[in-house]
Amino acid sequence: MSLDLRQVLPQVESLGQEAARRAAAASIRLPRLAQLLLDAARLDRSELEHRLAAAPATAHPAWPTDEAIDASFPLPAHPPRLRLLAADGSQVYPDRHAAAFFYMVNIGSIDLLQGSGRPPQTATHSNLHFDDEDLRDTRGLPVDTHLINARRDAAELKELARLVEGPVLSEVEGPVLSEVEGPTLALLDNGLLLWAASQEQKAARPDVQRVLDEYLAALDVLRDSGAALAGYISRPRGANVVDLVEAAAAEAGGTPPRLTDRLLFGRHLQAHMRSARFRHPARINDEFAARGHEIQFFYLHTGAQDGIARVEIPHWVAADAARMAMVHAGIVEQCRLTGVPYPLVRAHELALVGQDDRRALDGLVQAALIRHGISGLASQKAQTKRWTGRRRRHQL
Amino acid sequence: MTPFPAAPESRLIGRVTRCSIQGFVGGIRMTEPDMPAFGALCRAPAQGGRSQVIGLIYEISIEDDDLARQLAASDVPQEEVRLDQQFVRPIPIEIRALSVGFHDGDGYLYDLPPQPPNTLADIFNLPPSEVRQFTASLAFLPLVLAAPQLPTDSLLAATFRLAAQARPESERRAFLVSAGRECARLLSGDLGRVNNLVRSLQGQHGS
Repeated sequence: MSLDLRQVLPQVESLGQEAARRAAAASIRLPRLAQLLLDAARLDRSELEHRLAAAPATAHPAWPTDEAIDASFPLPAHPPRLRLLAADGSQVYPDRHAAAFFYMVNIGSIDLLQGSGRPPQTATHSNLHFDDEDLRDTRGLPVDTHLINARRDAAELKELARLVEGPVLSEVEGPVLSEVEGPTLALLDNGLLLWAASQEQKAARPDVQRVLDEYLAALDVLRDSGAALAGYISRPRGANVVDLVEAAAAEAGGTPPRLTDRLLFGRHLQAHMRSARFRHPARINDEFAARGHEIQFFYLHTGAQDGIARVEIPHWVAADAARMAMVHAGIVEQCRLTGVPYPLVRAHELALVGQDDRRALDGLVQAALIRHGISGLASQKAQTKRWTGRRRRHQL
Repeated sequence: MTPFPAAPESRLIGRVTRCSIQGFVGGIRMTEPDMPAFGALCRAPAQGGRSQVIGLIYEISIEDDDLARQLAASDVPQEEVRLDQQFVRPIPIEIRALSVGFHDGDGYLYDLPPQPPNTLADIFNLPPSEVRQFTASLAFLPLVLAAPQLPTDSLLAATFRLAAQARPESERRAFLVSAGRECARLLSGDLGRVNNLVRSLQGQHGS
């Protein structure tokens, strides 16, 4: 073991003390913040918007929607049948020390017909990217992790669009989907705004814009299919609603400690209830809105150990009571088993590229290179890391 | 020496995690429909691929799995989730096989192999054509009967059943009669076991 625990031990102790100090300070601040939420809800809408517009640039307040900002909504009835789709992705980043320069995006998905009594269908799509067009951005620079992540996120959403569009037959003999279909809820294990594109300086890049266009086109497909779509964020760290209530109280910037929305709604929401919807404050949301996909979010007490989750939805879900009920009831129901929605757990498992997979992929790449008369050797540095990093020879 | 013939219908059923001359243990994640059967024959390469150890599967266990444990501890899982776990999601499986012979590139030898398979060697099921070839001789039976602490009688009955199924319908009865006779000869000092085995074999014929 190269980690000297004796050195780290006092630092770990300090970490624990700091966490306790923050928790104590938060417990003092939290009741005040909860009161500010109620106060902000009593403000005239135009006055509230005026105060939000005056918030300092460092704050990122959520924008209220048609729902009162302190409202909470009980769990709606779950439909007798619900088709649940989930997709998740993982990636292998390019490694200049590897035998070849490439990256891979791996997408896992599941199509589960709750109430059908039939096993779900799963899929994994693995795509190796090795063309110059894939490996260089439009500035001619090597592709960066942000762009790969954006392509992965777009691939996840396109997989959901493929599932809602395509004809689905159960692997088990039986009636085709059309005879058993119910409403459809599509889930992503992430927020719905394309993160790479949300960084202003990147949005102007043609390669990022191309990914954004693909992403928005997939949203079009999902909207037109009649499905509900939600991005599920477990243990969220956002503070957009905290920023809202502090800006409304002219306390923007807040006195330390900075609290999160999760803490605020942990106090405000009972099990299985959801908060009001809010408009996502990111600037890229304007572009989403212009294309008919403004992103909103709400907080949901799932009833599970982690309690409060953030759920992001497009405007066309928010405006449709039936789709909203499906998102709310469907997520709570799926959290009963595994704390986070079961289809997301399985999609993640199907997408994950583990160390063993990575080693097997490297072996295949090396063999292909050698077959074509090219040295399949990793760099000397990669070799030395392998020699020193492998503590267990045999791992299944 | 000719290389071991690769049957196209062979299926990967595990990778060796522990092994000895007398047998090997393998693990893999697979779905339930792909699981091998108790009493089935399998093979794993040894000696750098120069030989193939033939194993008789005497134990199949489903290893502990965190997600499955969580689901088991939760409320009654939804039917679709249960079906997902049982038929779609690969589950960690461990198989244990007894060495009952090996193929040296020229043919089968019904004895313990010179070396065990190496760690992480692929374990394949023996397809029907190879099952017929291997069980054309019953010379592997002494190795099974001599194995300590195994459910030998049930194991042999299962093996004979699968070996019979690998044969054309017209040859099955003759094979089972021949296998029963060979067991009776080898177990002549233990009439109780002979009776058990013959009853098992008769039961397979529904008589």
